[in-house]
Amino acid sequence: MTKDKDPSRIVRPLLVAALVFACGSTVAHHSGNMFDREQTVELTGTVKDFQWTNPHIWIQVLVPGAEGQMEEWSIEGGVPNRLFRAGWRPTSFKPGDEVTILANPMRDGAKAGAFIGARLADGSILGRFSE
Amino acid sequence: MQLVRIVMASSKLACLGVTALLLFSRVGIAQSSTSLEDLPDWGGVWQMIGPTVFDRATVEPPDGRAGRPGVREHPPYNAEWEAKYLENIDRVRQGRFPDPLSTCGIFPGFPRTLNLPGALEFVVRPEQVWILTEDGPSITRIFTDGRSHPPPDELWPTYSGESVGRWEGDTLTFETIGIKGAGDTILDRTGLVLSERARITTRLRRIDASTMEARMIIEDPLALTEPWPVTKQYERLPEGSRMFDVACAENNRNPVDESGRTLTLDADGNVLDVDIETRVE
Repeated sequence: MTKDKDPSRIVRPLLVAALVFACGSTVAHHSGNMFDREQTVELTGTVKDFQWTNPHIWIQVLVPGAEGQMEEWSIEGGVPNRLFRAGWRPTSFKPGDEVTILANPMRDGAKAGAFIGARLADGSILGRFSE
Repeated sequence: MQLVRIVMASSKLACLGVTALLLFSRVGIAQSSTSLEDLPDWGGVWQMIGPTVFDRATVEPPDGRAGRPGVREHPPYNAEWEAKYLENIDRVRQGRFPDPLSTCGIFPGFPRTLNLPGALEFVVRPEQVWILTEDGPSITRIFTDGRSHPPPDELWPTYSGESVGRWEGDTLTFETIGIKGAGDTILDRTGLVLSERARITTRLRRIDASTMEARMIIEDPLALTEPWPVTKQYERLPEGSRMFDVACAENNRNPVDESGRTLTLDADGNVLDVDIETRVE
């Protein structure tokens, strides 16, 4: 579920901006202008699909919206080769996994974002994630 | 009849001789006496140190990242090419700068090959050195067999360019000409470009066990007022590291529209950007 049932809620903007700066852009092959690097959303939901593909990985996650309806978010991550070297695997996310994801949202409010970090159901962390 | 045979055989031999002479004088092969044992070990998988700003010595601000609005470098451009660069910088600010890599069609080209975020390999052979990059992917072939660049009528702009080099101890010095220029290639996503007349002289050396260094001197009679020195370094990744595909067209959910704007697609191929209602096949 999105934090406080508001998918576009802004959380810890300064902290996240600092983290994004520290870990660099997750977007490699195209302009990242569609994402608002000053803001983040926290999404808690269920993984629908994990696309371990070039040029970017994508996490499709189902998140309960403000009215209780399920909303599908598309979260774009880095390139598989570099993520692999950072410890990711093609099985890092599996359909059905309960996750909380931090992402820079799209500026226009579309249900997509650039991956910052995630906490999986077993408590393990990928990327940059702090409460 | 016997005389005719002798004349024909002689003419064939002469023809072969002339052909061989032309070949060897043209490309200079058989001139190289370097053996593999004499060449440095550049094995392993490498990765550029630092972000994909081409000239980190002049980037402004000093921590600027290529592709972020307002970030620029300071090559010795003449007024005309400085104006081109400023136009590109403005397009970056608008999110409309056309990075050729974004279309997933063509590899980055030289010298951007030396400014990529993915891994690379330096394969040393007596007659050639190959720089293999994940991004693209691309191959830069550097001939070290003593040949010269082809004559002008056998040379046209290509993404890899045309590189010939020589060994000076443990340093490979090579010159690259015949590159694709502005409009086809960029050096980084701040909008840096060169012309097709550019000549890049690169001195490549392993400066310690874990570091390769490429010291480039870039000359461009159309774009630059003086030679432009740029140095890049690469760190050796841990033993056992592998190179992977970066097959960009595999699942590109960020097509670029006619205006240069990058779109975002959902998992079914529908455009997510809220002001556009299009399905991209």
